[in-house]
Amino acid sequence: MGRILCATRGGEDSKRTQQAAIALAKERGDELVFLYVADASFLDNIAAPVVVDVQLELDQMGRFQLALAQEQAAEQGVAAQITIRHGHLHAEVIAAARELGISLVVLGRPQGPTAIFDETDQEGFAAEIEERTSAEVRIV
Amino acid sequence: MHETSAALLGAVAVWLVHYIGGTFFPALEIIDFDEAMAFVDWNVVFLILGMMIFMAMFSETGIFRRLAFRAFRLARGNAWLLGLILILLTGVTSSFLNNVTALLLLVPLSIQIAETVGVHPFAYVIPEVLAANVGGASTIIGDPPSTIVGLHLGLGFFEYAAEAAPVVIVSLLIVAGLALWLYRRELAGAKQRLSPALVTQLEEGARITDVPLLRKAVVVGLITMFLFFAGELFQLPPSVGAMTGATLLIVWVRPDMPRMMREVDWTTLFFFIGIFVLVGGVEKAGVIDWLAQAIADLAGDSLSKATVLMVWLSGAVSGVVDNIPYTIAALPIADLLSNSIPAARDSHALYWALIFGADFGGNLTYLGGAGNIVAIGLLAQAGYRVTFGRFMRDGLVVTAATLLVATIWLLIRY
Repeated sequence: MGRILCATRGGEDSKRTQQAAIALAKERGDELVFLYVADASFLDNIAAPVVVDVQLELDQMGRFQLALAQEQAAEQGVAAQITIRHGHLHAEVIAAARELGISLVVLGRPQGPTAIFDETDQEGFAAEIEERTSAEVRIV
Repeated sequence: MHETSAALLGAVAVWLVHYIGGTFFPALEIIDFDEAMAFVDWNVVFLILGMMIFMAMFSETGIFRRLAFRAFRLARGNAWLLGLILILLTGVTSSFLNNVTALLLLVPLSIQIAETVGVHPFAYVIPEVLAANVGGASTIIGDPPSTIVGLHLGLGFFEYAAEAAPVVIVSLLIVAGLALWLYRRELAGAKQRLSPALVTQLEEGARITDVPLLRKAVVVGLITMFLFFAGELFQLPPSVGAMTGATLLIVWVRPDMPRMMREVDWTTLFFFIGIFVLVGGVEKAGVIDWLAQAIADLAGDSLSKATVLMVWLSGAVSGVVDNIPYTIAALPIADLLSNSIPAARDSHALYWALIFGADFGGNLTYLGGAGNIVAIGLLAQAGYRVTFGRFMRDGLVVTAATLLVATIWLLIRY
């Protein structure tokens, strides 16, 4: 039995990706792990007092997003696990894939002008994951 | 480049031009180190430092997340009422916390609330950003332009609040009305039945994490408010009131001091110092006089024209650049105009025009304030990307409406 890693944030695009990952887990009989990467780098260039524990706030938001994903999976009879990591998305997905012995990484295909990544970036990222881990990557 | 790096680079450039350039060309002797230090408003720096220490401890209690969750409970699943409560809660919170802190505390939970009730998170978060920029104008500690100009005028906490309140209350109600109208479709499509598992998850993230600390912070907060009030009787600057409150809390709570000091955002304090020095150099070089003269030529001797110009020019500039350097640069212009326009000599009209313009103008684009950038970053972290145009669709309408309220009030008042 293999293990599928689905990196997710939230929003409509992520729901499509989560659905595809859930369907793949059912079809292959694999375990499913949803990953949320809390990246606070959007605070790097502002000069304003940041006295809040941002990682804690992002953790709680991530936990909620993963609970939504888990609920979707449970509705379809898939018991998904969740994990939260801190740092840059690309580096953390690769690190998680290595540490968790992932056989398949599922990434979302960027859709429309409000997507967080563009398609070329995503394909480059998929190639990087395949090169640096033993996992296969599917952009769905 | 980080804003603080840019500000320090500017300050150092001012000194190098004076000392090294001035050695060869005496005309470049613009401002020496001691003169530059006199341009730094230490009242502003210490007020921000005091509030930073106080808020760092207060925010650790989880009270703001709890309040947002109470708003969720109070609304009983009514997406419209929930939107209204979140806007007003953000407006009030940003009166006492800086916008970045207020939004960092409220936006993550608001995104989760939006997803629980099945409303697009833009419908709650963007109005919260707009409310934070408006609410920040209501007190002298709410937004940097209010702090900088209010302290320059020597206003006390309550003296400032009494003057700003009518404009901010009306503007906040307008933000709420416009937001509910702009997002009517999203709000109308809210879920009728909420997932109990998600509500439980929401509640778990909204617990008071440290009740004894919360009690102490509330007591010290009340003492600080009293000091702000009493300060007006004893000529106590707000910075002394804020530092007294912060020190009391430190002595009472006994936090890990090295950790506490690491949590103080020194980059912000050095950003202020760098900008004060840089603007001091620009002022000494005569650039501010030239700009003030250009505005005086446009306004003539009319205080009304100068007020309208100051509100809308400040709003437009603050919509695209950080309002802190803008306010520090525009303050000497307000001084010069207040001296050159006869009707402005005994009035604070141009200073209030600067405060409202710089605070409300931050809503024009998402580059207009650090709080805007933080909220956009948090939305992206939840998978929702706000484009420049998307933010401006709401920001433009709200900025125009609130600047209009401020203009009408100032023309009536002065």
